Amino acid sequence: KQILAASETAWGKDETLSPYSAVTQYNNFYEFGTGKTDPSRYAGDFKTDGWKVEIGGECEVKGQFTLEDILKPLDLEERIYRLRCVEAWSMVIPWIGFPLAELLKRFKPLSSAKYVEFTTIEDPEQMPGQRSVFSTIDWPYKEGLRMDEAMHPLTLMAVGLYGEILPNQNGAPLRLVVPWKYGFKSIKSIVAIRFVEEMPSTTWNDLAPQEYGFYANVNPKVDHPRWSQASERRLPNGLFSANRIPTQMFNGYASEVEGLYSGMDLRRFY
Amino acid sequence: MSILSAISNKITSVPVLWRRFIITGLSALPALYILQLVIRIQTGEWDLLGPEPGKALVWLTGTWAFNFLLIALMVTPLYRLLNQRWVLVHRRMLGLWAFLYTSLHALAYATFLLQWQWADITSEIVKRPYLLLGTGAWTILLALALTSTRWAQKSLGKRWKALHKLVYFAALLASVHYLLQIRAGWFEPVLYTVLTILVLLVRNRRFEGFWKKSDKI
Repeated sequence: KQILAASETAWGKDETLSPYSAVTQYNNFYEFGTGKTDPSRYAGDFKTDGWKVEIGGECEVKGQFTLEDILKPLDLEERIYRLRCVEAWSMVIPWIGFPLAELLKRFKPLSSAKYVEFTTIEDPEQMPGQRSVFSTIDWPYKEGLRMDEAMHPLTLMAVGLYGEILPNQNGAPLRLVVPWKYGFKSIKSIVAIRFVEEMPSTTWNDLAPQEYGFYANVNPKVDHPRWSQASERRLPNGLFSANRIPTQMFNGYASEVEGLYSGMDLRRFY
Repeated sequence: MSILSAISNKITSVPVLWRRFIITGLSALPALYILQLVIRIQTGEWDLLGPEPGKALVWLTGTWAFNFLLIALMVTPLYRLLNQRWVLVHRRMLGLWAFLYTSLHALAYATFLLQWQWADITSEIVKRPYLLLGTGAWTILLALALTSTRWAQKSLGKRWKALHKLVYFAALLASVHYLLQIRAGWFEPVLYTVLTILVLLVRNRRFEGFWKKSDKI
């Protein structure tokens, strides 16, 4: 635990933060197990020192970069974002990070780079969920964004939360935060970033394409086949107060991002 | 076999009424455990079951409902396979506990997750097949609980047995209800389904030949 020097920004100042215990003990990080408390229970010894990120694909600057290389020229800032999980719960989290665009620009993507593909570390020795014979996921976890989504000023690369270095269960040491998309797009513990021409295959879309689309934009009008997305449970909730609130289009960031999808049928491209 | 008959003799030496008390006490333990969780959460330990205590309790009651359904379904196989005749006396009570925990599960869902928003309940049940299957299983158990009295048994005659065979159907509905909620962790739903199918196979007289023969070797 270490306080990071981060500048404050105006993002989400009016929001009520979800408590630290909820943010750090209620996680979907299947690499450590499918239970919500598995990540906080089993990620304690996860080693993040000497972390490297492999940059490749359609860009001029390629190779392995240490976390220090990546962070050195960047200014960290705090951003309070709503996080809406595809499972119909949500939290408000004070992230610390930098706009992904600032990082990507340094690798000089070519004009052929249409998408960005991200990969989570694959290390079964440290990650019990990757060792599990009951897992249906084809490791490593992969996610992707369209180039314009990746370069959007709201898209954050996080290295901390609540004023400290990112806890292991929240995707240390480097994770994506895309606040207008369902949480599973915000890939954790990133070891590779590739610029690609074609839409990359992504983990949940591969697993159940009719339930999880590539775009995964928060949309109250398009239900998950097994549950409604019209409302969400803002956590923490109590036994007799479900804290159910209506879900907003693009998780409330419509004015910033709806231009990215003009003319697209969001029912088809869910 | 001698060990089993020794166990059987030991148990039957305990009066039936005592055995009923013991089974009632043991069956009530999960409910008491759940009750103390609710009390502690409501008296300040809001974080006891994480940020979604209602959901945790719905899962907990659901797990115990399935446990008791399987326990009740195990009674007849236990008698037929291991010759434990004494268990038959307790079948009705264990079935009623299965109904009770299923009702607690439905009540927890309606109270903690739906907050008794009836409009939501009807639309959710129609839209989500797993809710429909769960409701179906509960309805069957309700009918069986209502006709579990000796009087009902007598007045329904042959039809009573036919009606109570629906418990197999309820168990299958419960399995599919669980399976339909899989996202990636399939171990527990599949385990319960396998146990359900095993219990149903053992109970089916048509398959009796398999284990009756191996019994003699």
